[in-house]
Formats: sequence, structure tokens, C-alpha cells
Amino acid sequence: MSGESYPENSFELYDQLIQWIEAYLSSAEHSLRLELHLNYLNTSSIRFMIDIFDSLQTAFENGKEVLVQWMFDDRNPRSAELGSEFKEDYTFPFLILSINA
Amino acid sequence: MIISTTSLISLREFFSNHQILICFNGPISTNVIGEIGSALKKHIESNHAPELEVMDVFSVYIEMSQNIRNYATSNGFSDSESSATVVIAAVEAGHYAVCAGNLVEMEDGKALLKRIHELADCDKAQLKLLYKQQLRQPHTQTPGQGAGLGLIEIARRSSQPLEASLDPLGPGRAFFSLRAII
Repeated sequence: MSGESYPENSFELYDQLIQWIEAYLSSAEHSLRLELHLNYLNTSSIRFMIDIFDSLQTAFENGKEVLVQWMFDDRNPRSAELGSEFKEDYTFPFLILSINA
Repeated sequence: MIISTTSLISLREFFSNHQILICFNGPISTNVIGEIGSALKKHIESNHAPELEVMDVFSVYIEMSQNIRNYATSNGFSDSESSATVVIAAVEAGHYAVCAGNLVEMEDGKALLKRIHELADCDKAQLKLLYKQQLRQPHTQTPGQGAGLGLIEIARRSSQPLEASLDPLGPGRAFFSLRAII
């Protein structure tokens, strides 16, 4: 996923995505790597990202291989901070990487 | 009163004197929020002081205008009742002021004012804690219930305590104004 997300009604955008992720993680031996290049999320989108990360956490605790790669541009340190604040609440592998490195 | 060309020039002078970059007054829609947001981002990207984060100004603007829109929608407000006043102005030393106001029910306005004062008394660490707590609150499908998180986000991005006021506007209603300095 990449870009900026600030819809008024984030549910419409994220509901399908969350359903897909949950269905994918619940089937067999799938591992999941999420590569995120997110410059900006409004608070309504942040709430749904939490749902996505919660699903990944549950899958991880059930022995699934999951990985988040949070990519940020050095020119936008707020993106790195946003990634770090998400990461704080989870124990699955969550990498925060500069695209400029 | 009919608008005249001389009132236009005095309006322009008012904007210039207050260093107002963008101003909107009218029924606010999804498209309006998006278009003003893009213009704002472009403007600040090309003019900002190095220590200012463009995304802080953008985020405060988005949260304020979406709060207003969600409130108007969930209260079933008409077009004229959904009117918002949004002003973005430069303030000294590379800072920006984002202000927004809208019609509210008096009781909602009083509750908002109380909430803003509580947030204005919090330091950044307390705000982060509140933010994390609010994030973990269950989703509400009712639009307009998300204002809590938006206000905390606005307070976190601000470099000074939030300011708000409430002016009576018709029976049982008021105009609520919020200002954040980024």
C-alpha cells in the first residue's frame, strides 16, 4: 500500500481490505508481508490500520509468519514517527526503513 | 447588504493584514475539503520554514474540517446549517494558524469547550497516552463519534495550547470556533 489516506468514511475503504487480510491469514500456511509507503493517515484511517495490525498480531501468535515493512521518506519524519507508534503496540516483526538509505 | 466592489477591497485588506492564505466560508463537502487541502499542502511545501512539518498543518486542517463535516452529517444538518468557516493564516516565526468554526447545538458546544480546555492543559506525553487509549476504543459506526481522536491529534500537532470559543447563535445553538497554532 502506498500514498496518503484521509477519506471521511474510512470504513468503505478499509473494510474490504481487512476482510481480505483476515481471510488470507485464516487459510492454511500463508505468510504475509505488508509493505507500506504511507505518507499520511487521518485518524479515521489510523483506526483501521490498527485493525489490520491486530489481525497480523493474532496470526503471529498463532505461529504464522508475518512481517510489516514500513517505508518512509526522510523528508517526511512524521511518517517514521507514525510507524514507530504503531510498532510500539505489537510484537510481530515490524521494520521501519528509510527509502533514502 | 449587497456586496460591493469596495467591500471586496476591504475584505482583501482584512485578509492581507491577518496574513490569511486560505479562507473558506460556506457548506463544506468532501470535495471542498480535498481541494483546499491540496492547495494548502502545495502552498506550505513551497514556502515553509525548515523546522515546520508540512504534514502537521495538513493533518490539523483535515481533522478539523472532517470533524465539522461528520458533526453536520450525524446531526442531519441542512446545507446552510453545515456551513463551516475555515481560515489558514501565517503567524510569526514560520508558524501557521488553522482555525475552523461551525454551528453546533449549545450543549455539544459546551462539552467541546470543556474537552478542548482539558487537552490544552496536557503535555505531549499525556496527549500521546490519551491518543493510545482513544485508539483502542471500539469503532462506532455512527458518523460523528470520531471527534475524540481528531481533537487529540490536533492537540498533538500544535505547538501551543488549543484555543476555543462559543458564541450563542439562535435558540439553543452556538457557533463553535477552534484555533490551533502549528
